[in-house]
Amino acid sequence: MLGIGGATALAGCSGNGGDGGDGETGNGTDGDDGTDGGDGEDSGTDTSTYATAAAASFTTLNPIYNDENGAGNAIARALDQGYTFNADNEYVPLLYDMSTEDGEVWTFEVREGLQFSDPYGEVTASDFVYLIQEVHQGGWASSVSATYWTGVEVEQTGEYEFQATLQSPQLLWPESYEPLLYPIPQDLLQPYVEEEDAEGLRQDEELLELQFSGNLGPYVLDEWQRDGGTQYSRNDDYYLQDADDLPDVFNEAPYFESAEIQVLGEQASRLGALETGEVDSAAIPPERVQEYQDNDEIYVNQIPQPYNEKLSVNMRDNGWTTGPGNMFRHIPFRQAMAAAIDKQSLIQGVFRDFAETHFTWQPRFSNFYPPEDNIPMFGVGDRYGSEYARGLAEDAFEQSEYEYGFDGETMVDPDGNQVQLSLYHSAGQETEQLMGEFIAQELGNNLGIDVSIEAIDGTRFDTEYYTTTDFPTPERNEEGEVTSVPDELVDTVDGEEVEWTSPTATNPGPRNITGNEDWDMEIVYGLNTFPRNPLTNAVFFDGATGSYNPVGYYPEFDAQTLFDNARQASSEEELADALVDLFVNIAEEQPYIMLAFPDSTVGYREGLEGPIENFSNGWNLPAWRYEQ
Amino acid sequence: MGFGKYVGARVLWAVVVSLIITTITFLLLAAAPNPAIREAATQAALQGGDPSAAVERERELRGLNQPLYVRYMDFIRSIYTLDWGWSESRSQPVTEALLQALYYTAQYSIPWTVLTITLGPLVGVYSAANMYSWRDHVATGFAFFGYAIPNFFFGIILLLIFGVWFEVVPISYDTSAPVFSLQNVRQLILPVFVLVTGSIGATMRVSRNESAEFQNSDFMKTAKAKGVSPLRAYAYHVMRPTMVPLSTTLVGQLLALFIGSSLLVEVVFGIPGLGRLTFNALISQDTNLVLGSTLVFTFIAVVGNLLEDLVFTVLDPRINYDDR
Repeated sequence: MLGIGGATALAGCSGNGGDGGDGETGNGTDGDDGTDGGDGEDSGTDTSTYATAAAASFTTLNPIYNDENGAGNAIARALDQGYTFNADNEYVPLLYDMSTEDGEVWTFEVREGLQFSDPYGEVTASDFVYLIQEVHQGGWASSVSATYWTGVEVEQTGEYEFQATLQSPQLLWPESYEPLLYPIPQDLLQPYVEEEDAEGLRQDEELLELQFSGNLGPYVLDEWQRDGGTQYSRNDDYYLQDADDLPDVFNEAPYFESAEIQVLGEQASRLGALETGEVDSAAIPPERVQEYQDNDEIYVNQIPQPYNEKLSVNMRDNGWTTGPGNMFRHIPFRQAMAAAIDKQSLIQGVFRDFAETHFTWQPRFSNFYPPEDNIPMFGVGDRYGSEYARGLAEDAFEQSEYEYGFDGETMVDPDGNQVQLSLYHSAGQETEQLMGEFIAQELGNNLGIDVSIEAIDGTRFDTEYYTTTDFPTPERNEEGEVTSVPDELVDTVDGEEVEWTSPTATNPGPRNITGNEDWDMEIVYGLNTFPRNPLTNAVFFDGATGSYNPVGYYPEFDAQTLFDNARQASSEEELADALVDLFVNIAEEQPYIMLAFPDSTVGYREGLEGPIENFSNGWNLPAWRYEQ
Repeated sequence: MGFGKYVGARVLWAVVVSLIITTITFLLLAAAPNPAIREAATQAALQGGDPSAAVERERELRGLNQPLYVRYMDFIRSIYTLDWGWSESRSQPVTEALLQALYYTAQYSIPWTVLTITLGPLVGVYSAANMYSWRDHVATGFAFFGYAIPNFFFGIILLLIFGVWFEVVPISYDTSAPVFSLQNVRQLILPVFVLVTGSIGATMRVSRNESAEFQNSDFMKTAKAKGVSPLRAYAYHVMRPTMVPLSTTLVGQLLALFIGSSLLVEVVFGIPGLGRLTFNALISQDTNLVLGSTLVFTFIAVVGNLLEDLVFTVLDPRINYDDR
């Protein structure tokens, strides 16, 4: 439970729930449960059960295959991961400590006294090494962590020690969450490894029911009721009780006799359950925070998040459906859009002030946030407004080979018709819908664009519009090396010829390769900005071929060199310096129109001690308790 | 054809119908893109592998490289041997998933169905017997209110009043509550009430209008003239013929409600039943589970229709199968 809520953070993409939710603060980094709540004492319910609500049921609790944040929290109740980060953003060893001298060779020291359930015995380095080498690196299992261990050399160096050698130094490797492992018994894995039976591994009951968890988590999973939730009882032997390198409060952890996560799909039900004390916490939508702040039995925490709200503009060939020449491809046009949307009003009106303005790809609480003097702040002050935005749009029109322009207040295409664009948001997400309406209004008022708002299911938008699996692939030899790249996968970017050697669903190739359906703009997804290890943002911005680039963004600055320089840094300070240029360029180019970082607002039952208003909220969940 | 033969023929026909439906389902599935293959291609691409090779491997693994008829035979065999595969969205066998969900659905749908098919016609006949009186207006008002108010909205309102304000019912559903316990009654009373009010309206209105026809009929006049008590007269001579046309639409109506409204009610009350299972299976593209729940509903519809036809003979002795 201490560990990291889910490896999903690395996937970069979060369903932009806005108000949807289980109260999970969902930073995707800390096994943090905003959702968390137990039975409140005030309403006469017992304080012996720590009950929380989740908005969606779990696909799997198999630690090797889970990639959902919610299920990550459910697993974390019964099974810790390798390490976590505390309120001061410091590494806290749980199952193992990690150290390095040069960022290239990392030593893992496994804590002694970790026990699996019978018959698997003690957790040793060999369990982790086996898991990495045979499952994650085995090439047959398709485990969630497989990509993180590609090219990493792992070697056992003692009973409780192993080493990992990276291809290139990474000072912030732990912060990337890539070396985060669950403890899985070697003997449990062996039969599947020998048969290379991925399906069997995925469906193994011991893994699905976490029957091997021994003393490795604060609670023991009693039952997983699909669509209903999970129930746990206290693990009296929890290993952190004996850990002398953690605060004393862990000596008697956990402080509840039992725990449960209830799946309550309806927000009104989750809030009702919080009010009556049936759960200890729930996410509160911004428009109802005031109401709960006035409630004596509940207190509300405002927790900053690294997930952003941004407007994606489609630079691929299935974007800019209004006419010829995709204007989104011109930097001044994207700047004009950013300048046309009033960020402060958006935050006040839609997020009720529970959000931060978003100018570059880092939240303000990040240690890597660049000096603000360097960043162009579109959408506030002098850089907001009709005149300013139109000026930028005029610059973009000059760059275009087509004759776009303004006819009075209206932006018109070469035929003199008003520019009409579509904007997609998730169906049923009220906050998102409000945001969409506000954006449409601002683009209409300040740029004279006619924006139509469309509600769509997130999965459908993803499969039919945003991504595609229908893309050409390069030819490879037997060693897997690329031997030739089809012409469709080659394009000229910033004057240079670029080849897409590893196309993915989220970046299937150059701009001519697109999803099935046309779309102009979307606010369906929010993305992670990875404040603990900003180098992870390379997936978005490391050149036109970055693995996540559904919008077809081609950087017009040398992103790859800037990332390479940052990777060479030998200290955190050097890294921060190296990243300044990167973040300034991103703010300048607006690959996505950056809008806001909404805070997570979570209500807890009065008397619950432990929650903090910090991105690391939940790092010490087993030590949460009610005041005596 | 005697009654026995008719039932036999109907059962055989039911098997044929289910075979046709499963065949159509199979063809639709065979024509649709398989998400698992898409996933394999994406995984391969992310790991720097060859997506097309991964697609081939995945197709082979899933037997999709076999000819269509071989796959069809395999499919039919596994359907009828209850080997319905693995649900990817719930990580458990499909049959187990369906049984589990059915267990929770049955706990509210049985009382719901029983109350609907008993209370609906009763109130309808009562309404007809007191036509245009204040009692009729109250019953009609109640029927239209239940019919008009969306179930999920009504559910939330009731939950707010009785759960949050008065705290007499729990907000969250406890799966560990024993089936026959006060705790279970407390947590199911609101969903059952919401569903009954939603479904009773149509039944009540139809039976009211049907029975209005019969209460002035010759056989009713005769019964009254012979001194039969009003209760007996209505129960035997009005209610019974009223039920015949009603029962033809009942199964279809209840099935439609079952799928539609039970989903919303399950979401609001947090019941892990068949509605949510089906919906989640659909949105997460869990083909095995979609197929499984389709088969369950097919089975219910086929058996329901069969029972309906048999019930005719009991309700209306004029219907017989001797000449068929």
